[in-house]
This record gives sequence, structure tokens and C-alpha cells, in this order.
Amino acid sequence: MKRVQFEHSAIPYLFVAPQIIIIFIFFLWPAAQAIYQSFLLEDAFGLSSQFVWFRNYKDTIISDSWLQAAGFTMIFSVLVTFLSLALALLLAVKANEVIRGASTYKTTLMWAYAIAPPVAGLMGNLMFNPLIGDLYGFLNAIGWDFDHKLDSFDAGFVVVLIAVWKQVSVNFIFFLSGLQGIPKSVNEASLMDCKSSFRRFWTITFPLLAPTTFFLMVINITYAFFETFGIIDTTTRGAPGGATTTLVYKVFQDGFRGADLGGSSAQSVVLMLMVLALTVVQFRFIERKVHY
Amino acid sequence: MRLKSLLAALALSSGIVASTQAQAATEIQWWHAHSGNLGEVVNKIAENYNASQADVVVVPTYKGGYEDTMTAGIAAFRAKEQPHIIQIFDAGAATIINAKGATVPVADLMTDFNIEDYIPGVRYFYADSDDKMIGLPFNSSTPLLYYNKDAFKEAGIDAPPKTWEEFEAMAPKLKEAGYIALAQSHSPWIFSENFHSRHNLQMATGNNGYDSTDVKLLYNNDHMKMHWGKVKSWLDAGYYGFYGRAWGDNQDAFVQKKVAMWLGSSGSFGGLTKSAEFEFGTTFLPYWESITKEPTGTFIGGAALFAMSGHEDDEYKAIADFFGYVTSSENQVFWHKETGYVPITQAAYDSAKKEGYYETTPDAEIGILQLSLPGGEWTKGYRLGYYVQIREVMYKHFDDIFSGSASVDEAFADMEKESNALLVRFNDTYK
Amino acid sequence: MKNLNWRTITTHTILIIGVIFMTLPVWVAFATSTHTAETIIRNGLQFWPGGELFKTYNEVLFVEGGVMKSVLGTTMMKNSLILGIGFAIGKVVISMMAAYAIVYFRFKLAVPLFWIIFMTLLLPLEVRIIPSYEVMAGLGLLDTHFGLIVPLIASATGTFFFRQFFRSVPDELLEAARLDGATAWGFFIDILVPLSKTMIAAILIIMFVVGWNQYLWPLIMTTKEENYTLVIGIKQIYQVLAEGGELPQYQKAFALTILATLPPVLVVLVFQNWFVKGLVESEK
Repeated sequence: MKRVQFEHSAIPYLFVAPQIIIIFIFFLWPAAQAIYQSFLLEDAFGLSSQFVWFRNYKDTIISDSWLQAAGFTMIFSVLVTFLSLALALLLAVKANEVIRGASTYKTTLMWAYAIAPPVAGLMGNLMFNPLIGDLYGFLNAIGWDFDHKLDSFDAGFVVVLIAVWKQVSVNFIFFLSGLQGIPKSVNEASLMDCKSSFRRFWTITFPLLAPTTFFLMVINITYAFFETFGIIDTTTRGAPGGATTTLVYKVFQDGFRGADLGGSSAQSVVLMLMVLALTVVQFRFIERKVHY
Repeated sequence: MRLKSLLAALALSSGIVASTQAQAATEIQWWHAHSGNLGEVVNKIAENYNASQADVVVVPTYKGGYEDTMTAGIAAFRAKEQPHIIQIFDAGAATIINAKGATVPVADLMTDFNIEDYIPGVRYFYADSDDKMIGLPFNSSTPLLYYNKDAFKEAGIDAPPKTWEEFEAMAPKLKEAGYIALAQSHSPWIFSENFHSRHNLQMATGNNGYDSTDVKLLYNNDHMKMHWGKVKSWLDAGYYGFYGRAWGDNQDAFVQKKVAMWLGSSGSFGGLTKSAEFEFGTTFLPYWESITKEPTGTFIGGAALFAMSGHEDDEYKAIADFFGYVTSSENQVFWHKETGYVPITQAAYDSAKKEGYYETTPDAEIGILQLSLPGGEWTKGYRLGYYVQIREVMYKHFDDIFSGSASVDEAFADMEKESNALLVRFNDTYK
Repeated sequence: MKNLNWRTITTHTILIIGVIFMTLPVWVAFATSTHTAETIIRNGLQFWPGGELFKTYNEVLFVEGGVMKSVLGTTMMKNSLILGIGFAIGKVVISMMAAYAIVYFRFKLAVPLFWIIFMTLLLPLEVRIIPSYEVMAGLGLLDTHFGLIVPLIASATGTFFFRQFFRSVPDELLEAARLDGATAWGFFIDILVPLSKTMIAAILIIMFVVGWNQYLWPLIMTTKEENYTLVIGIKQIYQVLAEGGELPQYQKAFALTILATLPPVLVVLVFQNWFVKGLVESEK
């Protein structure tokens, strides 16, 4: 906390009021409603409702389709996080090494950040389109019997690829900044101690990047959990057979398509708890290992 | 700070503009789910109606696909901002009809309403168990078989298959000619619901769900399993093509001459006429002779218009007037010709016949003829709750059958379990 | 020296492959959008521009009907702009004020309010999407710009940016100002805000991109076609393509994706330095 502060007056309340009011109306109230509705069994039009305790949770969570979505979400998040971090790190390390063309590389590698997930999704969708998509034709030509409409692995492949493609830029920017923030003296000292650049990277550079990596992991997992909604909705829409449905997509499907408000609220609450738990885990256990 | 006042001013001014417009005549808000060409025809109908009289202005608004439109309607109703007319599709019928008090039945609303005016296949889908029509069928279609006449000539086949047995016999010839014999665009609608209707099989307890919400789905039966076992074997043998669950992808396969036959909707022929570069024909949905020697009719898919409750008397008069306009023979024939959806009244059908429409465009009549086939006990349709989710369950398990990750028996057993769980949930909602 | 050359070559190769991976899809999208639908269907995706640039973009932008048969591309651009700019400005203003209060004042509810704000970081909109929709419907704010923009400001990312930044401002500045007789409001307006210029610029840019790219929220909040943003227009294309029945207008689909991408990408490229700075500052 700052040592020097203003005395108590009405001013801080006025200043913080807009943010708090918005949070109350558009965050806390809907969140409370979600929790409340998760305990109700209501018809879509709200004309009859009963309080049913944890039945919505039982019905929706302990069901094959939810478990399938949960499983996919986990695998998907891990894959997307790992792949986009790895690729971005590789590119950042290389971009940090070059002198000629450094800023061009930097510019061309970072601009994809600005693309919206659904836009990336639609582009990817058309590139895999059986009729006009070159990627579809290419994959089939090299012997992979590729059909993302039918095969769950192929569909997962498409979604992961697009998600990773979009996310590499963000990670790249942060990794590059992180690398550029390592003091020259450290680099020079390590050059003298260790001849192998490979070893140098893993024993010195990578640990120094740990805070960045940790931060990016949090962002990437959040991205994979939630923002990829736009990608899934414009490509596979959760097909085939629910194989590419993430938990958040299922909330949307049940609530917005199926008009099952109690069920989707229960799923929202569970999702909220999962995110909270994940964040706590990340901050508690992983951050401990990160040395500032 | 300035932004806020700007936003407030924006909100205020749009409110003022909206209210001045409403004072002119009775405004009827019509929420629908038709985009593209169909949306244009919808707009035309509203325009024509508005031009024909000065008391009522119908304002059609596209609210997204069927599910989105229903969701928007539900949210609006809960917020007491519901539109006057909303278009709800077949899978949503149970949700809106079981919500007593959400709508005003068409039978009550329209003057001189007589259900006998409507052709048999459309009468009962949106009616209650007392045969009282609640929703007005608007865009009604039924599954039909389209076939590529050129492909048939190449393969040396004279006529399209009437039965699935005939199909099995001709499929190898088509394969030799370089075609996959068949694709279809909506496995729940075509290969499940109408499969049951065509063979007069019961698809759910409780009179196919009309009599109560405490019902079970009966898809896990030997006939269905036999059929799906066959479809899977056709897929493996190269007689059947599966292009994903999107309607358009399977239709495209037909248009691009990858498949020689396609099961689509009676409304598809309009689009096909424009996009297909070959001669095609239309015929009834095939059936299995081994199941029945006297196949029955199918029922309608598509959606209906519902009048939502909570409005003023003069607004209901306006709605009734508009519904009367929409069901007039002239407009029915217009809609029928422009979109390919079937005319719902007998009078409109007769009128189209009289003007010789079916001589120039015989394909347009097939759907109506199929809907007018003799009905059986189980041909009026179904009324099942959470059916959107149930269809998702069905898609999932059909995908599994196609990809080979589940056997037909396993898939149907799981499908039955999950669907019935959903139905139990739906039923409990109304306790 | 030989070793150095090999290294440089591999480094550049890797980087060039990376660049191609990242930029090729968009280039193909652009090139394909400049051909006719028939060409695309017959020959697949195009790598070189065709002659239809003007025609396609003209149709998408100015011909009523474009893809959805009743909305102009320019209308959608307008909606996206309002969303992006409105969101960015609203976010900056409200977050700066809230951060100022939390950092520079000792007041009773400071700690609980801080935690309430922090909580919003943990739960993104997608999790509370349906009740949020109902709340908006209940307030009659569906299909309004206000309803579209304001709830997005509920997440506290901006407040945290500015909180971190304000905490790094030296105390001496405040001491000096108070010695000069500055009020709380005066200090904010005359000293803190000008000091934060680069941060403000950076956050404005990032939030513009975030706002412009919003998908799920506008998807459910806008039900009338004239309120669609460009990004939602993308979804409608998908729906039209999936429904089939008409000749798929792939070139228009690609054109819309290019249009939806252009403004935020331009903003990011032109204001690159501020953008990176803002993004990285947020990490701390």
C-alpha cells in the first residue's frame, strides 16, 4: 500500500462507484441468478418452477455427455496451451537472436493477436472445407484419411490447430519481451560458463522466463476453456457426436439451444468452481516453484 | 463522464423514435427464423399485407436459426417483452405448447376456424391431444427422395426405388457408374421420426407424447436397429455417403454429383432447380417391404406460427387478420411456389392444381401427395420435451454408429437411456 | 565463423516458416475473396488475387443484402466500431477512476471492494452468460449499444492495469502536489492522468481489439439484424453456408473475414509499440 494517501472523504466512493455498480448489476446479480436457477426445475417460459435442490447437478453432471465434454476440455486445454507455448517460445528465442530483420519478424508474427477467434475459426473452416479447402485435399493426398465431419480425432485436430494458430502471437509477444528483459550481463556471464547454447537455454534462460511462462499458462488455459467458443462455434460446433464440445460450449447448447435453464445454470456453477479451483492451484502450487 | 451521457442520450433517442413509429397503426411484431431467400419471401408477404390495408403493420424480424428464435422468444416472454407472433419449430413444439398460458391457440384466435380446411398431414402436429390446433403451420415440408436422372441413365436404372429393398438392388449399379448411391440431410427427422411414421410404428408412449409428458421414447426397437444396421453396412460398402450433420453438406454432395440420390425436404426442390446442373426427379420416401406392405404417410417438419399471450385485444384481432391473410389460397400458393413449402389448406392445394402448376412443376406436388397418403395410428407427429437435446443425443449416437465407435445395439441402448432421462426431467418440470 | 552462418540460416529458416504459418491463411483468404464464387468452387482456394476485388467488397459493404439479405456491411462495421471504441473508452475511464480510489485512498470499504473487483477476473462472461442475458432482457437492454458495451466493462482487467501502474508512481509526486494544495480531484486530473498517457493509449488499443472481437456476448445480445457486428456477420455466413441450397458465396465469406480483421490488425500494427507495452505492463 502507498505510504502517502488522501484522507477519507466521499471522493473514493464516488470514484470507485461506477465500477462497483457495473459489477453488481452485470456480474454479481447474474452470478447469483445462475446459482439460484441451478436449484430450480423450471419450464422454459418461467410459468412453473419448483425447487429441486441438487437434482440439476445430478442430472447434468453425472451424464455421459457432460463427462465427455469435461474430458475433451481438459485434453484440449493441455494440448493448446502446450503447443502454442512451445511454438511461441521457439519463435521468440529465434527472433531474439537475429539482428537483421528483427522488427519485421516481430511485426509479422504478432499481428495475428488481433484476429477474433470466430474469424480464425471461419477461415480455418473454409480451409478444411471438403469442396474448396486445400488443407483437406492436402491431408487426404498424403494418405491421412481425413474427414473432420466424421472422425472425432480429425475434428479435434482442426480445432486444436486453429486455436493454437491464434494463440501463438500472444505468447510470442510476451516471451520476446521476457527474453529482451534479461539483462545483458546475465547473457554474457552464461556465455563464459557454458558453451552449449542448448544447455544455456535450459539452465539459465528458461528459469528466468519462469514468471512469464507461468503468467502465460494461466492466460492460455483461460483462453482454451472459454475464448475458443468462437472457434468451435464456427467450425465443428461440437460434432461429431459431441467430441469437440467444451464445457462452456455445452452450457451454451443446453441453455440457448435446448432451453434447459436449470441444467445449464448448474453447469455454469460447476464451471465457475472449476475455474476457481484451477486458479487457486496455479497460484498456490506452481507459483511457488517460480523464482522471481 | 461524457461517454455516459452520450450513451444515455442514444438510448433515450432510440426510444423516442421507436414510440413515434408505433402510434401510426397496430404494430404486430413477427419473429421468424428465415434467412437468405426465404427471409426475402417472408418480408414480401409482410410488405404485401401491410400494403393491402391500413390498420395493421406487420414487422418481421429475423432472430437467427430456429433455436435462437425460440430462445429469444423465451427470454422476451420472461421479460414481458414478447413479440406478437413467433415461429417455433417442430423440436420446440412441446416446450411452447406445454407452457400453458404462453400462447393463444390458433383455433381460438381465428374466426371460423375449421381444422378440416387443412390437409391431413399438417393438421395435428401442432395441435393438442383434443385435436385443437395451437400453432399455425407456416413452413411445412416433409422428407422426399431426390434422384439424379442422368446418373440413373448412366447406371441403366429406369425408376427410383419405392422400397429400401429396391434400393439395395440398384445401389451396386450406381456404384459401378461412379456414384455413391445415397446421402441424407437430417438423420433424426428422416431416418427416425418419419421412418416410424412411414411404417406406422409408434415412436413414443402416451400416444407419441400427445397425451402426457410422462412418456418414454421407443426408438430402441428392432425395426430401427435393422434399418440403421443396414445404413451402416451401406456406408461401409460405398452405397451411402455421410458428409457430416450439417444439412447443406449432404445436399451439396448431391448437387456436386457425388451421390446419385439424396433424401431432403419437399422444400428443397426450389434451391435444387437453381443449383443442380442435371435433371433430377422427386419421389416418396422409401420404406421397407419387410416391415409393412402398406406404407403410410409422413408428417410435417418445419415450423409454425404461434400467437403469444399477454397482448391487447385489438392486437389479437390484428394477428387473426394476418393469419387469415397468410392462410388465404392466394398467399398459400405464392409461398408454395416461391419456397417449395407445401400449401397447408386444401383450398390452396386445389387452387394450385387448377392453375396447372403441377403440370409444369410436378416435383412440387410430391410432398403434398405424400402428406395426403392414408394416415395410420402413428402418423400425426410427436410431442416430446427437450427434443432439441434429444436430437443432439441422437446425432451423437448416429455419429458413433457411422464412425464405428459403437455398435448399433450399444448406440441405441445408450440413446434410449439418455433420451428417457431427458424426458423424465421435462416431465418433472410440469409437476 | 562457419558455425555462426549455419546457426543464422537455421534461425532465419525457423522464423520464416513461422511467418508463413501465421500469415499464409490470411493471404489466401484475401486472394480468394477477389474471385468469383464459381471459380472458387471449381478450383478451390486461390493463392493469387483475381479481378473481383472491387465487385466483391462493394457487394459486401454497400449492397443491401450482402450476405444476410438485409444488412449492409457498412452497418456491421459501424456497429463493430461503436462496440470497440465505446468499450475501450468506457473501460479506461471507469478503471482509472476505480484504480485511483483503491490506490490513493484509505477508506473503510477499500479491502472488500478490492476483492469484489478481483473476483471478476476469475469468472469470465461465458460462465454467467445465460443469467446475464436474462438480466439484460429484464432491463430491456437487449439490442441496445448500451446493453452491449456496459456489461463487458464489469471485468476488472483495466482496473488492475491501472492499479499496478499507479502503485509504481513515486510517492514524492503526491507529496509535492499536496504541498502545493492540490485536491484529490485536482491531483487526478492535472497530474496522474497526463502521467498515464502512454498507459491509457496502450489500454485503449488493447481494449479496442478486445471489444471489436467480441463474439459470444453480441451473439446473444443482438437479435435484430441491424445491430449485428462484423464478427457476428461471420457467424451468419456460417449458418447460410451450412444450410446449403444456394450457390455458396465463398468469396463474400472471405471478404467479410478480411473486413472483420482489418481494423484491429491495422490498429495493432500502427500502434505496435504502445500495444506491446500495454500488453506487457499488464503482466506485472
